[in-house]
Amino acid sequence: MGLRTALRRIAATRVAVLLVTAPGATAVRLAVEAGVRRRGPAWGWAESPAAANALLVAAGPGHQAGGTLPDSLPGRLWDLLPHPKARATAAGEDEAGPALDSLAEALAAGPGWRSGSAPGGPGRQARKGAGGQDTELVAGLPMAERGDDRDGLRLDVLHLPLGPALPDWPAGLVVDVALQGDVVQEARVRPLSGPGALPPSGDALPYWDEPWLRAAHGESVSEGAAHRRRCAAHLDSLGRMLGVAGWPGPADRARRLRDAALRGAPAGVLLPGVQALRRRVERSRTLRGLVRGLGPLPAARARELGVDGPALAAAGDAYDRLLRWPTEAERSAAGVDSTALLADRRPVGPRGRLDGPRPPSRALLDALPPLLAGAELAAARLIVASLDPDPDELLGEEAPHG
Amino acid sequence: MMSPMSVWEPVLVLLGVVSGGVAALHGLGAWLRTGRALPDAGAFSGGLPPREHAFSRFHVRWYPVTMIFLAFDMEMLFMYPWVRVVRTMGVPAVVEMFLFLAVLLTAVVYAWREGALRWA
Amino acid sequence: MAETAPLWAVVVLPLALVVLAGVAAGADAVLSAAHGGAGAWRRAADPWREAVRLLVQQPRRTRAADRWLGRIGIGLVPVAAVLAAAVVPWGLRPVTDPAVGVVWFNAMEALAWAAVWLAGWGPNSAFSLVGGYRFLAQGLAYELPHMLALTTAALGAESLRVGAVVAAQRGLWFVVWMPVAFAVHLLSAAALAFWGPFAHPLGRDVAGGAAAEWSGPDRLVLLAGRWLLLAAGAAFAVPLFLGGGHGPLLPAWLWTVVKTAAVLAALLGLRHLVPTVRMDRYMEVAWLVLVPLTLLQALVVAVVVLGRR
Repeated sequence: MGLRTALRRIAATRVAVLLVTAPGATAVRLAVEAGVRRRGPAWGWAESPAAANALLVAAGPGHQAGGTLPDSLPGRLWDLLPHPKARATAAGEDEAGPALDSLAEALAAGPGWRSGSAPGGPGRQARKGAGGQDTELVAGLPMAERGDDRDGLRLDVLHLPLGPALPDWPAGLVVDVALQGDVVQEARVRPLSGPGALPPSGDALPYWDEPWLRAAHGESVSEGAAHRRRCAAHLDSLGRMLGVAGWPGPADRARRLRDAALRGAPAGVLLPGVQALRRRVERSRTLRGLVRGLGPLPAARARELGVDGPALAAAGDAYDRLLRWPTEAERSAAGVDSTALLADRRPVGPRGRLDGPRPPSRALLDALPPLLAGAELAAARLIVASLDPDPDELLGEEAPHG
Repeated sequence: MMSPMSVWEPVLVLLGVVSGGVAALHGLGAWLRTGRALPDAGAFSGGLPPREHAFSRFHVRWYPVTMIFLAFDMEMLFMYPWVRVVRTMGVPAVVEMFLFLAVLLTAVVYAWREGALRWA
Repeated sequence: MAETAPLWAVVVLPLALVVLAGVAAGADAVLSAAHGGAGAWRRAADPWREAVRLLVQQPRRTRAADRWLGRIGIGLVPVAAVLAAAVVPWGLRPVTDPAVGVVWFNAMEALAWAAVWLAGWGPNSAFSLVGGYRFLAQGLAYELPHMLALTTAALGAESLRVGAVVAAQRGLWFVVWMPVAFAVHLLSAAALAFWGPFAHPLGRDVAGGAAAEWSGPDRLVLLAGRWLLLAAGAAFAVPLFLGGGHGPLLPAWLWTVVKTAAVLAALLGLRHLVPTVRMDRYMEVAWLVLVPLTLLQALVVAVVVLGRR
């Protein structure tokens, strides 16, 4: 075995996963995240295609590959990955493990550096300039043009679709932003239902709202299970927020606690962990200094938009909303051992009331565009993460229109 | 006393060694990898294609800070040689330098009051 | 005046810096996995394996990119780190000891401005462009306090020669009476390496920022280069503030290594304690807290120097 083979073999043992989650596939994403962690130090996450050597699509159960993602998205992302590379799709929690294994096998077998992907994939076609007829195209794209900015200047504008496959970003969400420098001039949320959208089947309830919706349908759900889900939902949101804020240690801690909650850890184990995390987050004056003042959503405005849940209770800026999550997660963590049945009252999920005319995440999305306008790109990412709309909730809503 | 040449000679050699090292890494990579070269990829912002090229006149909101910085940075050029003569020149050297710095710092405070240090 | 090392040190220095950076990156991987239970120490080899993965990976081109401009920027990162480290005495002998060593370090470290901006501009991608410009803003915030901190140490020794700065600390380490300058230098070491709390130019919120579009050996040189910069910055704290190779019992070169490792450990701790800082919030802190504090520190040192007569 030559040096070349040996080095290639070492390289093939490492897997940097670019994860694309379809709306409705939260359970699959959680299974994939837990699976990657279980597989140890050779596995990690890629923040962009250039950093990745494995593409994993987490699709909803019963959906075809890609689910409600735009049809071309997995193929386009695949074309962005450099060789050697491997791809897989997991369409269900139980497929997460096999999908990850298949990635490792494909990389170890090394077809990625011999044959590569099938030639002539969708990404190889030269795109025609869709940006306008009379603009001059360079390599198929127009150059940036000028537009008025918030300070009354005329400056170059870049139009950028944020999402749907960014790290720590709501699954499938696409926000079209107009950037001048790194300041968002205008933001528009795209409707989720792309050409590949499927109406959700009856058993595919939004993952984070499941216990309450089941109870509302007359099934018997224990209070403990509901607390568990709420605790995990808030920790998931917190982990994402801290990830965007660039604090990887506590973000990772939040995700580990989330997984522990979902795996059925008793309150005696869960509660001290959540408490310690809450104290750590609350004590960080740097974090407060960085997030304070971003995306203010006072109670009156929140109520007007129909926002409910932690975002309404926080009645303040992104930092207030950030602090609600560990606080409420701690409260829920205390109750995870309860075996009493969930009383058949109004169902209230982690993001608010579920029996209203619209799902709570719709109101959160409606709140976004005015908050994003005028924010720096980094602040915009924090504002999105601080509201953390759950696209799963919107699938049921948008199906009738589509 | 060393000649000036022997002071900067090692630096030149070092520059060669590092550049050679970076080139060697690229060579090693070329030797290790196989497969077709990639077609040019579109820029990544989450998976959807951008609408225009990113090369543009990027507007920086911290433009006023660069002005204050330049003023202070020029001052630092005086401060380096000043370091060596403080003791021989005595008290006037220190008084003059810190008066000058105080003037600059006043300008910084003024700029801060005008909101130049905060732009988001 | 300190003697300089023989010419073969020119080959050893880059290798030593690479090993130091690799060990630091390994320690960081271990620290990150510390909650993961047993076997976390095995992560120490992770950076080396990741380096092999990136070596084998194809370099990637973005459409209509200015690829070579970006590559020049990426190449500048390790060049800046190693050339800055040339004036750091390993033991008591640096590779070179110019009369303006402190200024030389400052000049090389400032190359990072060009490096990160070029690496961000090159790929013709909005995220990496934003990342590149973030570093320029970062430079405006950290550079001035850093220059003042460097000047303060030079003022204490009344010389810009690094060997003389070390010699001036034979009795008392500068860190004892220049704690502010030392702390600012540590912050600046992290900032100039766009690392840890100052990693915003390569932020997760813009999918890796200036590094977002680079793969293969390009990515390796960029990411390894920032560890080299960090190691160089940490190593320079030793002759400036921690007495260089001076110390009891151990040989001078070993003291240098031990002190550099301690500085790096402090920086790793900082990374795990503090979230990533955004310049639109940090700028005020830098100009209204750090600059006046370092100026005050310089004034105190100047008065002490006057008192020496």
